[in-house]
Amino acid sequence: MAKLKQEALPWLFLVPSLAGTAVFMGFPFLDAVRRSFQDAMGVRFTGLKNYRAVWNNEAFRLAAGNTARFLALCIPLLMAVSLGLALVITWRRKGAGNLRLVRTTLVLPMVVPAAAMVLIWRILLCPDGILNQALTVVTGRLWETDWAFSGHAFSVLIATYLWKHTGYDMILWLAGLSGIPEELYEAARIDGAGLWQELIYITFPQLGGTAGLVGILSVVNSFRVYREAYLLAGSYPDSSIYLIPHLFAHWFLNLDIQKMTAAAVMMTAVFLLPVAAWKVTGGRRP
Amino acid sequence: MKRRHWFTGAVLLAACLLVWLPLILMTAAAWMPEDELYWRYLSPLGMGRDRVRAALLPSYPSLAAMKELLIGSPGFFAMFWNSCIQVIPVAAGQFLIGAPAAWAFARFRFPGKKQLFGIYVILMILPFQVTQVSGYLVLDRLGVLNTHAAMILPGIWSTLPVFIMTRSFETIPEVLTEAAYLDGAGVWYTFLHIGLPLGYPGIATALMLSFTDGWNALEQPLTYLKDKDLWPISLYLPDIARDKAAVAFAAALITCFLPVLVYLNCQEELEQGVASSGLKQ
Amino acid sequence: MTKTCRTYMAKILIAVLTAGLLGGCQRPPKGEGESPASSERPVSDTAGTGDTPDLKQGKEPAAMGRYRETELELPEGTESQSLICFISGEGGRMELYTAAKGGSEKSSDVFRYRYEEETWKRDEDWAGAGALRDRGLDLMNVVYGQDGNYYLGGVDGDYRYHLLKLEEDGGTEELLEEVFQPGEKKQYGLIPPGFGVTENGSILIHDYWEVYLYDSGGARLLSMTKDFSGSDSDARGFLNGNEFITVNGGNIVRYDLKDGRVTETVDYSEVDDSRESVCLFGDGSGGIYAVNEKGLSHINQGGTVWEILIDGSLNHLGMRSLYLKGFLKGEKEDFYGAFVSEGNRGITVYHYEYDPDMTAVPPLALTVYSLEDQSVVRQAVSQFQSEHPDVRVELRTAVEDGGAVTEEMIQGLNTELLSGKGADVLILDGLPAASYIEKGVLADLSDLVKDLEESGDMMDNFLEGFREEDGSIRQIPARVGFPLVTGRPEAVKAHESLESMTTYQGERPLTEPDNYENLQRKIGWLCYEELFGQEMKVRDRQVLIRYLESVKLIGEANGSQTSFTEAETLERFVTNHVVRNGITGGVVDFDRGVSDSGVEFLEGYSRLSFPAQVRRQNPGSVMAAVGKLYFPSAMAGINQAAADKDMAEEFIRCLLSFEVQKEDFYDGFPVNKKALEHLTESAARDQYSESVGYTDGYRLHADWPTLEERREILAMMENLSVPVVVDETVMKMITEGSRDYFDNKKTVDQAADEILRKLSIYLAE
Repeated sequence: MAKLKQEALPWLFLVPSLAGTAVFMGFPFLDAVRRSFQDAMGVRFTGLKNYRAVWNNEAFRLAAGNTARFLALCIPLLMAVSLGLALVITWRRKGAGNLRLVRTTLVLPMVVPAAAMVLIWRILLCPDGILNQALTVVTGRLWETDWAFSGHAFSVLIATYLWKHTGYDMILWLAGLSGIPEELYEAARIDGAGLWQELIYITFPQLGGTAGLVGILSVVNSFRVYREAYLLAGSYPDSSIYLIPHLFAHWFLNLDIQKMTAAAVMMTAVFLLPVAAWKVTGGRRP
Repeated sequence: MKRRHWFTGAVLLAACLLVWLPLILMTAAAWMPEDELYWRYLSPLGMGRDRVRAALLPSYPSLAAMKELLIGSPGFFAMFWNSCIQVIPVAAGQFLIGAPAAWAFARFRFPGKKQLFGIYVILMILPFQVTQVSGYLVLDRLGVLNTHAAMILPGIWSTLPVFIMTRSFETIPEVLTEAAYLDGAGVWYTFLHIGLPLGYPGIATALMLSFTDGWNALEQPLTYLKDKDLWPISLYLPDIARDKAAVAFAAALITCFLPVLVYLNCQEELEQGVASSGLKQ
Repeated sequence: MTKTCRTYMAKILIAVLTAGLLGGCQRPPKGEGESPASSERPVSDTAGTGDTPDLKQGKEPAAMGRYRETELELPEGTESQSLICFISGEGGRMELYTAAKGGSEKSSDVFRYRYEEETWKRDEDWAGAGALRDRGLDLMNVVYGQDGNYYLGGVDGDYRYHLLKLEEDGGTEELLEEVFQPGEKKQYGLIPPGFGVTENGSILIHDYWEVYLYDSGGARLLSMTKDFSGSDSDARGFLNGNEFITVNGGNIVRYDLKDGRVTETVDYSEVDDSRESVCLFGDGSGGIYAVNEKGLSHINQGGTVWEILIDGSLNHLGMRSLYLKGFLKGEKEDFYGAFVSEGNRGITVYHYEYDPDMTAVPPLALTVYSLEDQSVVRQAVSQFQSEHPDVRVELRTAVEDGGAVTEEMIQGLNTELLSGKGADVLILDGLPAASYIEKGVLADLSDLVKDLEESGDMMDNFLEGFREEDGSIRQIPARVGFPLVTGRPEAVKAHESLESMTTYQGERPLTEPDNYENLQRKIGWLCYEELFGQEMKVRDRQVLIRYLESVKLIGEANGSQTSFTEAETLERFVTNHVVRNGITGGVVDFDRGVSDSGVEFLEGYSRLSFPAQVRRQNPGSVMAAVGKLYFPSAMAGINQAAADKDMAEEFIRCLLSFEVQKEDFYDGFPVNKKALEHLTESAARDQYSESVGYTDGYRLHADWPTLEERREILAMMENLSVPVVVDETVMKMITEGSRDYFDNKKTVDQAADEILRKLSIYLAE
C-alpha cells in the first residue's frame, strides 16, 4: 500500500503515453482551438466572430439537429440490439454449443471496407434493387423507391450503422456478461427469481461499466457513419441525413477551417457535460 | 424452456441471415465475369437502368477478377504490405505505451487523473478533420511526412485504445492486486503478472478495433502520404470501384481477409470477461 | 484443443498468404521510395560512370554529374518523313530508316541516313530501297544481323510479310517464305513486329506472345513465350550472342537459344512505367539497359539492383507527345534516342552525354499539382524541364487513368495549402477555385497577364474573362473549347435563349433525343448566363422552375427519357452515358434528319470535321457559336505561398507558350494566338478523315476541315468572351433532384422544393 502512494509512480506509467499524446493529439487540438479565433489562413485574430458565424449558420443548425437526432435514436437502438443478441448468445451457450459461427458472423461487417459495402447497399436499395423487388412481390404493386435518396434515407443510414457496428458492441457486451459471477445467478434462482428478475436485478446492474464503454464507443463510431452516408447518398444527401461530418467536409473543401474548428470546440463543450456526468456516476467502481 | 430455445434460435438465425445476405452477394460478385456483373447489376453500378438480377452464386464463375488482382496488379501487393507496415507497429506501440497508461488510470490515484482522462476522452471523440491541418504541421515539423512513420506515430498515440484498456483494467477485482502487494510484489510485477493477463481481453478488444480502423483508414494516408508507393490497401478500392467492379469486389474480399483472420485468432479472448478470465487463473 | 488447432490453422493461412504474395509475384514490396537508387545501394560501375546520378541525394549539394541531352540536327527532308527504325548498323554506325509517300501508289519511298563524322548523311545508293520498290513492299523492319548482313522485312499489297536478306552485291534473297503464308482458312499470315538474326544465320521471329527461332532453311528450332507489349511497333527484346533477352511474365528473362531455357529472370517492376513500353538493349557484356518514360536504367548480368542512369522526367524521355522508337549506346558511354510524335512523323534524335559538371539533381524545384493528368500540363512540364536543366519539375496528380476524384484528395491538398505549403503551381480544374481566391491562396497574375497582352501572343478575350472584381487575375486557362451549333438557320438562331429554345416550332425537334440528365446539363451550359452566371440565378425559385419546365418541354418534343433500355440504345442510337456539359455530338442527328440542329463541343479542329461536312451536304444549313460562350480548361494559378513565384510564373508562361500550345492533344484549342493561327493554317492533317456508320445504314464520312472553315472558326473564337464555369455541386443537385419530375413521379414544385432545400444548405455553408 505504501508504494501506491508514491507520487512519482503513476507518472512513470503515464509519461510515454502522455508525451506522445501531447505531441500528436494534444497540440493539434490546442492549435485547432487557436484557429477557431482566427481567419482561415491563420493570419488575423478575429475574436468570437467565427463562433457567431457558426452559431448563426443555418447549415450548422440543421446538421447539429440532425446529428443530435441521429445520436439520440441510433445509440440506444444499437446498444439495445447488441445487448439483446449478446444475451441470447449467452443463454444459448449455457445450453449447448458455443455458437462460434454466429459470433464470427456478426463481427464480419466491421471489417468490410465501406467502399465495397456501398455497392451492395445499392444493389439492395436502388430503385431497381432487391428491396423494391421483394416489396413488389409481397404487396402486389410496383415499388420503385430510391431508398437512399428519399425521405427514407435516415432509416437507411441507421440500418447500415446497425449492420456495421452491432457485432463489435455485442462482443463488448459478451465480455461484460461473462464477467458476471455465476454464483449471483445461482443465489437468485434459489430465491426463486425468474428470467426477468435475473435480468433486472443481476444482469443489468452488473453491466453498468460495460454500458458506459459501449455508449462512448458508439458515439465515436457514429461519426464514422459519414463514410457510408457520403458514398451512398453523395455529399449533399437528403436533408434528413445532412450531418455534422458533411458540413465539416464541405467547410474543409472550401478552406473554411476557422468555422470548422469553432464548431468543433462548441461540440466538445457539449460533449463535456455528459462525459463529466458519466465520470461521476459510472467512472468509479467500489 | 423449449419454446425459448426455439425463439432464440430464430433470432440468431435472422441476425446471421441479415449479415450473410449482403456478404454472399459481395462474394458472389467477386467471382463473376465482367459482363455477367453488368447484366446483373447495371443499375447499382450507375451505368444505366435495368432490373437487378441478384445472385448468391455466379452463373458463369470466373477467376478473371482474382487473377487480374493477384497476378496482374503488382500495385495491390505493394499496398497490402504497406498496410501491414503501417498497422502492425501501431498495434504494438499501443500495447507497449497505451497499456501502462491505462493501468495508471485504472489503478493509481493521483492528482489531475480525472481531468487527464477527460482530455483523453475528448481527443478520442474529435473528428479527424478538426485536427487534420494542425496534425499535418506537427508531422511536417518532425520531418516524417510522406513516410510510413506519418501513419504510425499518430496511430500509436490514439487515445481510444487507452480508454478501452482503462475500462477493462478497472474491472479487475481490487482484491487480486491488493493480495499481490501484500505478498510483497512490486508495482511493475503486479502490472505484468496480474494486470496484463487479466486485462488481456480488454487489450485485445482495443487492439482489434485499432487494427481494423488502421486497415480501413482513408483520410490519413491521403493527407500524409504524397508518394503513391507508400499507400495502404484501403486506398486501392475507391480508386477502382467504378469501371472495374469485379476487381473491386475481389479486392474487398482480400482486404477483409487479414482482419478476419486476426479476429478468428483471438475471438475467445475478446469475448471473455475480465473477471471470469481472472477466476480461471 | 480446438483453440490450438485454430491458432495453428490461422498461422498456416498467414504463411500461405505470405508465400503467395512473395512467390506468386516475385516482387519485393515497393515502398522504400520511388527510385531504386537509394543510398544503401551497392555502387556498381559497369556503365563507366562511377558517380551516377542519384535522385534521393537531393539534399546534399555535393552530388555532381548528370546526362545532358542535346538534339542532333537531322538532314533536310526528314521533317515530313516517318521513321521506320533506328539501328546500329555496319561498323557500329547509327542508321535511320525513313519512309515518305512516294509517287507509286503501292509502296512508300524508303531512305537510309547514316551518322558519320557527327552529321547525318543520306545514303543515296542504298540497294535496299530499290529492292523494296521492285517487290512493291512497305518497309517494316531493318535488322543488322549478328552475322554481318542486313535483313529487311516488309509487307506487300496483300499484307503478306516478306523477309529479305540483302546480299553483298545488292541482290536479295527471300527467306522463310513458308512461315509467313496465311494458315489454313486464314486471310492473313504472321506479320511479326520484329525479328533478329544470330551469328550463324538463324532467324528469331517475334510474334506478339511468342518468339520462334528458325534456321536459315526455314525449320523451326524453338519457340519461347514472351509478354505482349501492347503496341504493334514495339518488339521488346534483343539478341546477345546466343541469348535472347525479352519480357515474360512481367519480368525480364534471358533465354538460351541452344535449348530455349530461361537462364536468368530479372525483376524490373522498379523501373517499369505506366505505359509498359520498355525498350531493351544490351551493354555488350551481358548487362541489360532498359529505357522508357521513367528514364534509362542498367543492370549487370546476374545483378539484382537497377541503376538509374538517366532520369526520364528531366528530359524528352518523359514527354508525352513523343514516342521512343529506338535507343542506342554510343562509343563513349553516351546514348542516342530517336523519337517520333504522332503518326511516326516529327522525327527527333537526342544525344545523351555524361556531364560531370552538372549537378546530379537539379538544384531548384518546382511542383505542379493537378487533380487529373492533363496532357497539355504534362507537355508544359517536359518543355519547361528541357528549357531549365537546373530545375526539377514535379507534376503531382491525384488520380490516374480516369479514376474518381474524391473529397479526401482535395482535403489533402487543402491541408497543405492551409499549412502554408502545397504545390507552387495549381491546375485548378475540379478544385474549389473561388474559395481559394476568396481565402487568398492564389497569387495575383496581373503582371504576367499584362506582359502576355502586350506581347500580343495571347487571345486576350480568354484572359479578361477571369478578372476579379478587384481587377486582379488569379487563374488563366491553358485550353478552351466552345459549343458549335449546326443546323437550319432558324433552329441555330433559337439557341440564343431558354425561351426561344423552348418555343421553337420547326419541322423536326430542335435537338436530338438524349437522356434527361445530358439534356438538362446541355441546356444549363448553353443558357449559362440566364441560369447560372456569377450570381447563381437558379437559386431563384421561378428561374429554377422555368429551367426544369423548359428542359421537359424540349425533352418531350424530341423523345428524351431519364434512361434508355439496352434495346433502345441500339435502336435509337441514344446513350445513358452522362457527360459534364451534356453535349454528346448531335450534329450527326441533324444530318440523319432527327433534329433541326445539333451541338458539337469543339475541343480542336478534329471535332470540326463532322459539323463542317454536315453543313456542306445540307444546303441552307449554318454553323454558329452559342452566344459568346467558351468552356475553359487546364486553369493555372500560382500558390501565394510558393517559394519562388517568378519561377512559377515562368512555368505558366511556358504552359501558354507557342511551343506547348501548338501541340494538339484533342483537349481543347490553344489560348496562344500564334499557336491557334498555326493550327488553323497548318496543312499537316489535311489527309485526315473521319467517318461514322450506324446499323441502320447511315454513313457519314468527313475530311479534315478546309482552311476556310478553320479560319471561320478562328474568327468565331476571337469573339468569345463569356467563360462558362458551372458549379458541378449545384448541377448535381439539380439533376438528381429533378429526375423524378422528368419521370412524371413528382410535380415541378416538389422537385424545385427538393433542389432548393439542398441548394440553400449549400449556399448557407
